[in-house]
Amino acid sequence: MSAPMRVLRAIAIGLILPVALVLLWQVASSREWINSLFYPAPWDVMQRTWDQASGGKLPHDARVTTGRLLAGFAFGAAPGLAVGLAAGVSRTIRQLLYPLATALYVVPRIAMLPLVLVAFGLNDEARVFMVAFSVFFIVFFSALSGVEQVDRIFVDAARAFGAGKVRLAATVLLPASAPAVFAGLRVAMGFALIVIVGTEFLAANDGLGARIWLSYQIFDFPSMYAGIIAVTALGVLLAWALLAVEWLAVPWRR
Amino acid sequence: MDVSGELSIRGLTVDYGGAGGVRALQALDLEVEPGSFHAILGPSGCGKSTLIKVLAGLIPRTAGEARLPGDGSVAYVPQGNSCFPWLRAEENVAYGLKLRGVGRRERAERARDLLKSLGLEQFSRAFPGQLSEGMRQRVAIARAFAVEAPLLLMDEPLSALDFQTKIAVQAELVDLWRDRRCTVLYVTHDIDEALTLADRVSVLSARPGRVALTAEVPFARPRHQAGLREQPGYAAAFRKLYEAIEG
Repeated sequence: MSAPMRVLRAIAIGLILPVALVLLWQVASSREWINSLFYPAPWDVMQRTWDQASGGKLPHDARVTTGRLLAGFAFGAAPGLAVGLAAGVSRTIRQLLYPLATALYVVPRIAMLPLVLVAFGLNDEARVFMVAFSVFFIVFFSALSGVEQVDRIFVDAARAFGAGKVRLAATVLLPASAPAVFAGLRVAMGFALIVIVGTEFLAANDGLGARIWLSYQIFDFPSMYAGIIAVTALGVLLAWALLAVEWLAVPWRR
Repeated sequence: MDVSGELSIRGLTVDYGGAGGVRALQALDLEVEPGSFHAILGPSGCGKSTLIKVLAGLIPRTAGEARLPGDGSVAYVPQGNSCFPWLRAEENVAYGLKLRGVGRRERAERARDLLKSLGLEQFSRAFPGQLSEGMRQRVAIARAFAVEAPLLLMDEPLSALDFQTKIAVQAELVDLWRDRRCTVLYVTHDIDEALTLADRVSVLSARPGRVALTAEVPFARPRHQAGLREQPGYAAAFRKLYEAIEG
């Protein structure tokens, strides 16, 4: 079998189960084997998704959610990276931050929401902070462990050429820990999506999370599924975007 | 480049782990002539790498002093795969030059020249991960030569290479050194390699290391490790070093 045929065959095999499940769902719903109010047929969901997408509602909510998510991601990842690298380089900074960071890391993010609402009020700052707070610790720990795992031989080589602390960090520690940092960023992106949707469930009137939750409350299940599909699509797109950035930023790992 | 002045080490003592720790080197004395190629042999764990790392400024010394040739700057080829994986071959070679503030154009030129003399001009844009082990070691050697330091410290740079590749890189290394006439301190565990490359060989005793013997290598250049054993005097030279290593 030729190489393209093998790829096509692998894709075809991978599609068997999803297609079968969707068909089963369609048949089960249209024949009322399952309650079509709660589990509308995939075709109806597709139609609703299309209507809301072309009507502008879904794109609006997707834009709102994406804006909050990306702002929170940036505000969490940038300091997480800087502080994580600093803690990797300096034992004092590590000893200062590690206990607190470890304690805060295990707090379930959504448990912080009431406190954050008290501090910020019911606004986008609060929603962005929720995302930033979860992203910060994941990126912090991945940058810290990335630096700790840098092969000693690279550090020695750079120092023997006269690299001081700043040059060492910029020319060795940062690039050497980049693969670990990107692994952390991928995990953080997943967390960011969970946290923004959860936050919008509870504390927003717009955004994909709010759309899913409001649709559920008024029993508009096709709209709820439309929201879930949009969130899933957003997650996939952001994961791809991050992979593209990694592909550009870490060319030696291609 | 100022290569004048010898490498002179007096009473060098190095302890690991502070008081009650391990003594790696004990009052080591060593004189290395300016511009010479000096090999260091010794049993495993005798402190050969420690000596190199102290001179490279990577490990503090406990006592003693070391006077380095020229302006005191060194270049270092560590043991193992030390090419930065995130830099292309030419960027690796230019790394030390960049730290020293050499301009972009001159860096690129010198890196290209060195890579060319090592037969790697076609691989200048490759990342180390795309190169063979032998090519990577050539890049690490080129990186060290690029800064034109008066003292070049090499810690078993060829020990991971297969015999054929090792022979080829040895010849290239000696050519680069003869062009530049820097002082080379070269650690190896391979007696034949020391006899092929060096003007003089010092043998360190078992830990804590000190110089047990320094001997001239009696063979004319150019030398070739594959033909070394046919040289008159090879057996005696080998035996002398071997017995010194065995203690």
